[in-house]
Amino acid sequence: MKKILVLVMSLFSVQAFAIDDPNALIRELNKRFSQVNDYTAHVRMTFDIPGVKMNTMNGKVFFKRPDRFRIRTKGIFFLPKQNPLQNMSAMLLDTSSYTSVMSGYEVVKGKKCAIVNIIPLKNVNDLILGKFWIDIKNPLVLKTQITTKNNGTIETENVYVANSTFTLPDQIIIKLETKKIKISKMLAADLNKKSKDTSKDNKLETGTIVLSFSDYKINTKFADSELEKTEE
Amino acid sequence: MKEFFAILKNELIKTIRRPRSYIGFAVISFICLMLQGAFYQDGRELLTTVTAQFDNIFNVQGNILNGNLICFIVLQTLIVQMPLLVAFVTGDQISGETASGSIRFLLTTPASRTKIVVAKWLSGLVYTLLLLLVLGIFALFVSRAIFGVGDLMAMNSEGLTIIRADDINWRWGYAFLIAFLSLSVVASLSTMLSCIMDNSITPIVTVMATIIIFTIIGMFDMKSFDVIKPFLFTTHMISWRSLFEDPLPVHDILTSCAILFLHVVIFLGVAIFYFKRKDITN
Amino acid sequence: MSSAILLENVTKNFNDFTAVNELSFEVKAGDIYGFLGPNGSGKSTTLRMIMALIKPTSGSIRLFGQSLQENRSEIMRKIGCIIEKPDFYGYLSAKENMKLFARAHLLTYTTKQYDDLFSLVGLKGRELDKVKTFSHGMKQRLGLAQALIHDPELIILDEPNTGLDPQGIIDLRNLIMTLNKERGKTILFSSHILSEVQEICSNMVVINKGKVVVQGGVSDLLSHENLTVKLEVVNPLTTAVVLRQSKWAGMIESQEEKLFVFKMGKTEIPEMVDYLSQHQLGIERIDYRNQLEDYFLKITNA
Repeated sequence: MKKILVLVMSLFSVQAFAIDDPNALIRELNKRFSQVNDYTAHVRMTFDIPGVKMNTMNGKVFFKRPDRFRIRTKGIFFLPKQNPLQNMSAMLLDTSSYTSVMSGYEVVKGKKCAIVNIIPLKNVNDLILGKFWIDIKNPLVLKTQITTKNNGTIETENVYVANSTFTLPDQIIIKLETKKIKISKMLAADLNKKSKDTSKDNKLETGTIVLSFSDYKINTKFADSELEKTEE
Repeated sequence: MKEFFAILKNELIKTIRRPRSYIGFAVISFICLMLQGAFYQDGRELLTTVTAQFDNIFNVQGNILNGNLICFIVLQTLIVQMPLLVAFVTGDQISGETASGSIRFLLTTPASRTKIVVAKWLSGLVYTLLLLLVLGIFALFVSRAIFGVGDLMAMNSEGLTIIRADDINWRWGYAFLIAFLSLSVVASLSTMLSCIMDNSITPIVTVMATIIIFTIIGMFDMKSFDVIKPFLFTTHMISWRSLFEDPLPVHDILTSCAILFLHVVIFLGVAIFYFKRKDITN
Repeated sequence: MSSAILLENVTKNFNDFTAVNELSFEVKAGDIYGFLGPNGSGKSTTLRMIMALIKPTSGSIRLFGQSLQENRSEIMRKIGCIIEKPDFYGYLSAKENMKLFARAHLLTYTTKQYDDLFSLVGLKGRELDKVKTFSHGMKQRLGLAQALIHDPELIILDEPNTGLDPQGIIDLRNLIMTLNKERGKTILFSSHILSEVQEICSNMVVINKGKVVVQGGVSDLLSHENLTVKLEVVNPLTTAVVLRQSKWAGMIESQEEKLFVFKMGKTEIPEMVDYLSQHQLGIERIDYRNQLEDYFLKITNA
């Protein structure tokens, strides 16, 4: 009942802001973000990184506002340096650190989205430009493109099913450009492998990491120590 | 058959009692402990040489520097040393006795020369297995005790392969089996050369020279060498690494095992053929 | 007596070098057979062929009536040998070395048997010492223990006296005689020293450059009936005239200035000396050797 009420209120609130005002969209988003003080969820990670072969990995996500975040697993996994889970809400919440500009509209997965550019006013996480595709009917970030000084550009596509009210995605597809990871033959001691054309190895390729979330537990007030542990 | 087991027992006793047999165990233990100490001290820094190229894009999370990685590194470090240690003992088994003259007593027993060569070869294989067991204990179990168990970030020239910890034990088992088969090739080559040559040093040096030359050919990414590589046993000796690839190149592994096995059969066959006809003149 | 060793036309070539050339001889069971020859005459090569360490290029080797090539294992059970200097595993004790040989012959020796064996070869009290601490003579004794460990019918000893002290040589000689007389062992004894063979062997073969020079019974070969007598005289011309008219004229083999060489029995010598004295013919020197000594001296000098 509570969820339905929140949903209805959200629908009403959509009508309340002007669709060409990026600040209004962000305010609405932040309002939703603010409902979440902490959450835990099960995460299933699949990786397609050039030069890295890695099986699907299961783990548990722990998050506390504003940006304390931990994925606990039983093994090794790769996450982008610019962690979208950690940074997206934190970046938008600090409205004094950026200026937002509407740069147009685009349909993403059948939903009309406003493209909001975030231009930093001060140096936060080396951000150069953040682009957010925000559903104008139901303010959720469906897509992002974050460009930083040191870490290049990372794109995400977010899929919301069960926890859209809390802006918590059920799936995030992270795409980033990277050179194929190579280990020198001497370091790998991988002798006797046949020589191959390495001219393409320096080209940028797209790596993809898919994070699928389930079993969200929101605002359960877990202990801070849970954020310190690394292993599940 | 009783006769064969009697001389096999004799050969095993000789192998166990020879002081030089223990050099191999000492070297392996020392290398393992040295590498473990180095990794314990500076392992994270050493790993940055691997992670540096994607450091600004990715955060690698989890315990990378674990017992499985140390074992993997130790094993690939010992690519050159292990054959030397095997050849050091097996290359001397027949030629050493020929040089010292004790072969005369051996060959004037009722046992046939074929049985004597096979017994010596088998005792060489038992020694090789013991070397690998010591390596396994130090490189895998001691490393795991020091650094813990975790996913293996296998470094191949093709890139990185992350092997999950719960999927790794069977891979180590097969890896050590393939390593044993590989070292059996070295032991068989040493036995063959030991049958042909009459002093103990030349077979050892010849085995090492062969492995060094073949390994150098393998190291260079040259198209002209690619033609030769499939025919070099050293190419297949490192096929244990293939067990840490994903997906598992089963066909390649089986092909390599078959080629290694064929080498063992050929080397042992030549050894028996030659030794049966050899005149013991010194 | 049955044949223990029979070599027929055995030849061994090492590339262009012929080490043994059409060698034939027979060792009867129960015999102590001397195998004599100077260094490099092909003795060791022959013994190695008998022990199947070297394959003959041609010819046949039969031991105990069986072909060596076809029945090697069975034959080896009946042979013990020391080929040249005995070499053992220096990192093992004398007893451990013997245990290896006992095991290779599928024998299980008791402590007492080992004690007896070490006593027999004069190594009692040293059996637990590492062989690397042994002198050459001690190794030679251990070699003998190894040759006897499986109680063989035939014992082949290649220059077994090498490295032994005088007492050791006497001990070995006595041991060989005991083994032959009391235990009926056949012994093939090689040496390059004639006196060693003369003292213990009943038959012998002398080889040189891989070929048989002389063979037969030691007593026959050392007989005093057919001696080579060398006579050096003061007046060779007159002596020659006198001798050519005597009964010894047909025994003169050669004359070179003052030196006359005869073939004659030992009893003839004093008679001939008397005869020359009666004719006032002076003798400067006279010596004699039997046929074997003569052969051996010739080949060793060569």
